[in-house]
Amino acid sequence: MTRTGEGRDARAVGRSVPRVDGAEKVTGRAAYVTDCVVPGMLHAALLRSPLPHARIRRIDAGRAATHPGVSAVVTGADLVQMPGLDPYFGPAFQDQAILAIDKVRFVGDPVAAVAAATREAAREAAQLIEVEYEELSAVLDVQAALRAGAPLVHERLRPSQAFADLMGIEAERQTNVCYHFKLRRGDVERAFAEAAHVFEDTYTSPAAQHAPLEPHVTVAWVTEGGLLHVTSSTQSPSYVRLSLARIFGLPLSKVRVTVPYLGGGYGAKTYDKLEPVTALLALRTRRPVKLQLTREEEFVTIHKHAVTTRIRTGVAADGRLLAREVAVYWDSGAYADIAPRVVHKSGYTAAGPYAIPNVKIDSYCVYTNRPPAGAFRGFGVPQVVWAYESQTDAIATRLGLDPVAYRRAHLLREGDLFATGTPMRSLAVIECLDAVAREIEWGSGLAGSSPPAPEVREAGVPRRVLRGKGVAVGIKAALAPSISGATVMLNADGSASVLSSTVEMGQGSDTLLAQIVAEALGVRVPDVQVVHPDTAVTPYDTITAATRSTFHMGNAVLQAAARVREQLFAIASDRLEVDPDLLRARDGRVFVAEAEDRGLTIPEVFGAAFQAAGTTLVGEAVYQTSAIPTDHETGQSERVTVMWFVGASAAEVEVDLETGQVRVLRFATAADVGRPINPHHCRQQILGSAVTSIGQTLFECLHFEGGQLTNGSFLDYMIAGYRDVPPIITPIIVERAHPEGPYGAKGVGETGALSVAAAIGNAVHAALGVRLRDLPLTPERVLQAMREREPARAARRGQVERGPG
Amino acid sequence: MRPFKLLDPRSLDEACQMLDRYGEDVKLMSGGTAILILLRQRVFSKPYFINLKAVPGLDGIRDEPGTGLRIGALATLRAVETSPIVRQRAPLITETFRLVANVRVRNSGTLGGNLSHGDYRLDPPAPLLVLGAKAVAVSSRGRNTYELKEFFRGLFETALQPDEILTEVVVPDAPPKAGTAYFKYTSLSETDWPCLGVAALVTPSDGGGTCGELRVAVTSVAERPMLLEHLGPLARGKRLTERLLEELGDAAAERVDPIADARGSEWYKKEMVRVFVRRAVREAARRAGLAAG
Ligand SMILES: Cc1cc2nc3c(=O)[nH]c(=O)nc-3n(C[C@H](O)[C@H](O)[C@H](O)COP(=O)(O)OP(=O)(O)OC[C@H]3O[C@@H](n4cnc5c(N)ncnc54)[C@H](O)[C@@H]3O)c2cc1C
Repeated sequence: MTRTGEGRDARAVGRSVPRVDGAEKVTGRAAYVTDCVVPGMLHAALLRSPLPHARIRRIDAGRAATHPGVSAVVTGADLVQMPGLDPYFGPAFQDQAILAIDKVRFVGDPVAAVAAATREAAREAAQLIEVEYEELSAVLDVQAALRAGAPLVHERLRPSQAFADLMGIEAERQTNVCYHFKLRRGDVERAFAEAAHVFEDTYTSPAAQHAPLEPHVTVAWVTEGGLLHVTSSTQSPSYVRLSLARIFGLPLSKVRVTVPYLGGGYGAKTYDKLEPVTALLALRTRRPVKLQLTREEEFVTIHKHAVTTRIRTGVAADGRLLAREVAVYWDSGAYADIAPRVVHKSGYTAAGPYAIPNVKIDSYCVYTNRPPAGAFRGFGVPQVVWAYESQTDAIATRLGLDPVAYRRAHLLREGDLFATGTPMRSLAVIECLDAVAREIEWGSGLAGSSPPAPEVREAGVPRRVLRGKGVAVGIKAALAPSISGATVMLNADGSASVLSSTVEMGQGSDTLLAQIVAEALGVRVPDVQVVHPDTAVTPYDTITAATRSTFHMGNAVLQAAARVREQLFAIASDRLEVDPDLLRARDGRVFVAEAEDRGLTIPEVFGAAFQAAGTTLVGEAVYQTSAIPTDHETGQSERVTVMWFVGASAAEVEVDLETGQVRVLRFATAADVGRPINPHHCRQQILGSAVTSIGQTLFECLHFEGGQLTNGSFLDYMIAGYRDVPPIITPIIVERAHPEGPYGAKGVGETGALSVAAAIGNAVHAALGVRLRDLPLTPERVLQAMREREPARAARRGQVERGPG
Repeated sequence: MRPFKLLDPRSLDEACQMLDRYGEDVKLMSGGTAILILLRQRVFSKPYFINLKAVPGLDGIRDEPGTGLRIGALATLRAVETSPIVRQRAPLITETFRLVANVRVRNSGTLGGNLSHGDYRLDPPAPLLVLGAKAVAVSSRGRNTYELKEFFRGLFETALQPDEILTEVVVPDAPPKAGTAYFKYTSLSETDWPCLGVAALVTPSDGGGTCGELRVAVTSVAERPMLLEHLGPLARGKRLTERLLEELGDAAAERVDPIADARGSEWYKKEMVRVFVRRAVREAARRAGLAAG
């Protein structure tokens, strides 16, 4: 394997340099928003709706307003009277009021906000607000929401126009479907008629929590010149600035959004969350205000979509996939947040990365009276992969074909057309599949089966377990079009600063951007300082999400650095009397390519240009990707994205036949990362995605009763812990340089999450011969499925059973 | 969380007087791991708490020949877990306490707080029930000893009176040659609260080969931890065959009335009672030197 980073000029890129923020974080010195204290700061609390759907008749905030320590109480009724204020926000539809205005739409919907001297006083005051509700009938799940004549969660909708890819969306009138994505390719009905086998199943994936270590938190205050300063735990500072400017009728220059380190985001902290209400309180009180959610509030703020996927596939006698029809229903909760984009981006991949000439996809974004759902690592793709990769496995198994070989035969290859009609480029999906299959020693024995489990003995009695292996692949497209701007500043001493709105949320972006600049300018990684997002100085960036930062911000920073280098070389070429094209930069020097000792140090170059110390050279760039919007009726687009990212997972599981518990013994997950800028970070991202997804596959699930979340705290909601990590887990980097990526890199933030659930589900099937279609694969579900399918086996007790093969 | 005042008694007597004086307005606090969650969730609040950690001498662990282990109520779960005396006298306790929560909770949470809390999802009650432990409580009225099997009354309900302080747990020596085992089963994350826990104690009969005494306790499944006393007679004098283990599992399942929660339905928990009673008894028997089957 060749690798960028091992050439002569390459020093910083392609190497696993240590994290630039590592020491600060492990020693507890790194500052997060929660550490932010502004003199004179008030604390805010929210009163939330106890009902899933109700009209607000009357609010009496009298007792709260006079509670000791309280500075302000605001309700929806106050919002409509504030001149110049547009109280509605949302990235796709402006459907969410800062505080509920006419009605509440989920249990937890903010109804009133209090600012007080202490957090405790604010919370107590909030409890003193009296609200009279008129309860309305609610739609508590997608089925209820889709029924004819169902109560409407929103009577009217206003698109937001904040993002190019969402410009065209329009809600279906008088239904709870706020967006319907359609894809039509070929003639599905005819193909089904010709198919030798037709498979039709429904798969579900539940609502799950992001569970970032740091809950949402925002501090807002007004400074000199009427500047609204908001420091917030957000993954999208540029968008938040835009949104606040619009809500409060301010010029963009008068809104300053800063983001220090983020304590984990996973998509939960995208778009507006606490910023509008906190800014409102700050403007109201003219005091700094801090709002920080409790963990319980975090649970009703945003979650991963619950999804139901109906998938039907027509297969020829030889196994060719002739047609696939997919209907995906997304429970988006009470407010759309970014759901329409999730429904679109995941919707068009719902048939999978396979060569299928006839495809029909309908993907529905549905409002219900549940807490809002939004972006979650993988952006809806893991939910559709669960469906199509489980079914693809079922097809292979039914036809008696090896699931790996079957996939290999039908996966898309370079140049093939995707379901959207887009030609595939730079797509190492087969390599990923091969890598994970090899890693778990696929193919020793029957398809998908493990060698017989070694006898597990317990108290002298063999424990009844079965083992199996499974694989799955997944594909996601990078968000396009999207934009990243960056400024690179080289200092006279050879150190550099990067101004970028990419949020360091643990993924390692500070280190990555420093590596790119260090590489381009020939300076040391530790001497590159990445300035954290501050919309007063860092340029626009679409968002830190969607696996886009390495590619987009990486390119922007690379181009900005190249502009600095041009200036540096122009000065040096005068001095050295040599063509700038012959110059190189490395180790803090500029020198002639063929005569390395002919050169200048960076301070010498600066000295030649400026007669002052501490000067700077500045380069700027905006990197923008383009895409052709999918056709409204057919979902077709020649260029739906700039970059596909693909991955594969393989699992070997052991199922306890008495309890139904699934243990993942071995797990491998591979991601096509283009070329890794920092291989170690890539592996960590792949590993992190995998572990999170294992928890979601095996046990994570938000339970609701009558619209009320019943396990909304860490006492009852478990995420994967250290002991849930499989004993053998291998992250694998698959390299294939992307022609447009910085140094050939793609991103890797979500790739490892796409195919985990399906690989485990397929392994469970290989072990038991039972296919589970509903996540999570709790022991209870597995046991139940075994009992339903094979009552005879369940009846045979106390007997050793073995895996097939 | 509402502000409260933490009272620091210097002696057990003073703590008892505080309970009498503040009555409804006060509650005991040991490690605070259970209480603080309830306070934070505003499930309840009190203006005063008595900080039992201020009272010296309530956290001792010692072996009293003829009586058994005496474990102070204020001993942390971690102290009990790592105590060499406990490991020697009652390895079942060591085995169980290692599995409680995580090391941070075990470092703060106390044995007294655990038992007095009366939560249904606790591990420690099961081993203490099969070992026939007693709980000693003190009030200004005097001293009271409860059999642990009569101590747990219902959800968050114990036999303790409002003015009583649990001071000590007395664990008699296990019968000679007894084998013991505890199985904690988690159905979600491995580090979760138990979905259920089963403790078993088996002694070989005098002649060997068959079961002498059998004691089984289940916890975390129904409203309160239970000693399943009807199982002993079913096994006495018999070989612990797989068939008998199954009968024991079924008999246990019949007696429990599971609480359905995020960790399992009623049906599932009953099934798991069957499975884990079998596994625990089988393992205890093995440790008692009784061959299974
Ligand atoms: C994250 C987490 C996970 C957990 N997982 C498990 C688990 O897996 N298994 C398990 O068994 N437990 C688990 N627990 C519960 C834990 O064991 C208890 O919280 C702990 O034992 C309580 O002890 P404490 O000293 O902190 O009690 P406190 O919180 O101080 O008090 C609890 C209750 O007991 C009363 N009390 C305290 N001391 C006395 C006394 N001496 N006399 C009379 N009344 C008293 C208090 O008034 C209060 O009502 C978990 C707890 C947490 C927070």
